[in-house]
Amino acid sequence: MRKLFFYVPLALFLLLTVFLLSGLFSDPRERESASLNKALPEFALADLMQPQHIWTPEQLHGETFLLNVWGTWCPTCNAELGYLTELRKQGVKIVGLYYELPRDPTFDAPFSLKALQQDVAQKLQQNGDPYQFNILDLERRLSLDLGVSGAPETFLIDSNGIVRAHHIGDINPQIWRAKLAPLYQQWSQP
Amino acid sequence: MKYLIATVLLLLSGALHAQELLQFDNDSQRDLYRSLTAELRCPQCQNQNIADSNAIVAVDMRQKTYELVRQGQERQQVLDYMINRYGDFVHYQPPLNRYTLWLWLAPVLMLTLLLGTAIYRRSRQPQHNADTKSELNTELDQLIKRYRSKKP
Repeated sequence: MRKLFFYVPLALFLLLTVFLLSGLFSDPRERESASLNKALPEFALADLMQPQHIWTPEQLHGETFLLNVWGTWCPTCNAELGYLTELRKQGVKIVGLYYELPRDPTFDAPFSLKALQQDVAQKLQQNGDPYQFNILDLERRLSLDLGVSGAPETFLIDSNGIVRAHHIGDINPQIWRAKLAPLYQQWSQP
Repeated sequence: MKYLIATVLLLLSGALHAQELLQFDNDSQRDLYRSLTAELRCPQCQNQNIADSNAIVAVDMRQKTYELVRQGQERQQVLDYMINRYGDFVHYQPPLNRYTLWLWLAPVLMLTLLLGTAIYRRSRQPQHNADTKSELNTELDQLIKRYRSKKP
């Protein structure tokens, strides 16, 4: 009996220690996305470079692709452009969702599409251009509907327009091989 | 005197022009907005609510909450809107399901275990005491007997 009073609390204590220790190494950003296995939300957004063209979810059906949320203001996004360009050369279709910063009417200059286009063109020339085209999410409505918490984030959309993966953070060779490539293979098979 | 009047006027003008940045139809809408932005969690800077955070996504979520409240949506409707997009993670009051059940069960279980142990030990203790007491008594009796027998 005395032994039981010693070993039961000890076991509980060790269990708690292991549980708390594992918490030290877990990534708080790693969590199930709410947009998984749902269709792309409704939207009608202009193309960044040809603003007269309006993109809707239906126009994106037919092919599995990556939807990459990015902005030239975001250093990590600029850093991943190089590797994404490599992926494009391997035949991966990548569409950009341009995540524009909110503007403070008191302090910031009004939005200028021309300036943004120049900025984007320059960045893509410097770092590589992985995008088939870019959709401009000026008000970040689509991003909010997709559950985007910042940039960069990447969604894997299948040929029926269903979200199959949601990756928060940059895409590098390790992440691509370990996490996204298998899913891309799985969902791009006809 | 001139300066005094000027100062008073200046101070007053500030008070007169004080205006809320967000306008609501009534007080209950304002209260709803306040409580919602306090209990919705920012997905970017975790451990801040969207009222405190200035991350882009928190600014957008505040704006959306404001719009939905102004449209006259109920508390639960706004919460559902956010949870549909960002998951249960986004609300500081987690729902009761099979993953979170332990949050409520664990303290109750621990308390029951503790009380059970305490009662168990207590129920054994008096018995134990009685044993030693009678043992001591017999020992004492023997000592007294021995002491007495030594005396003539």
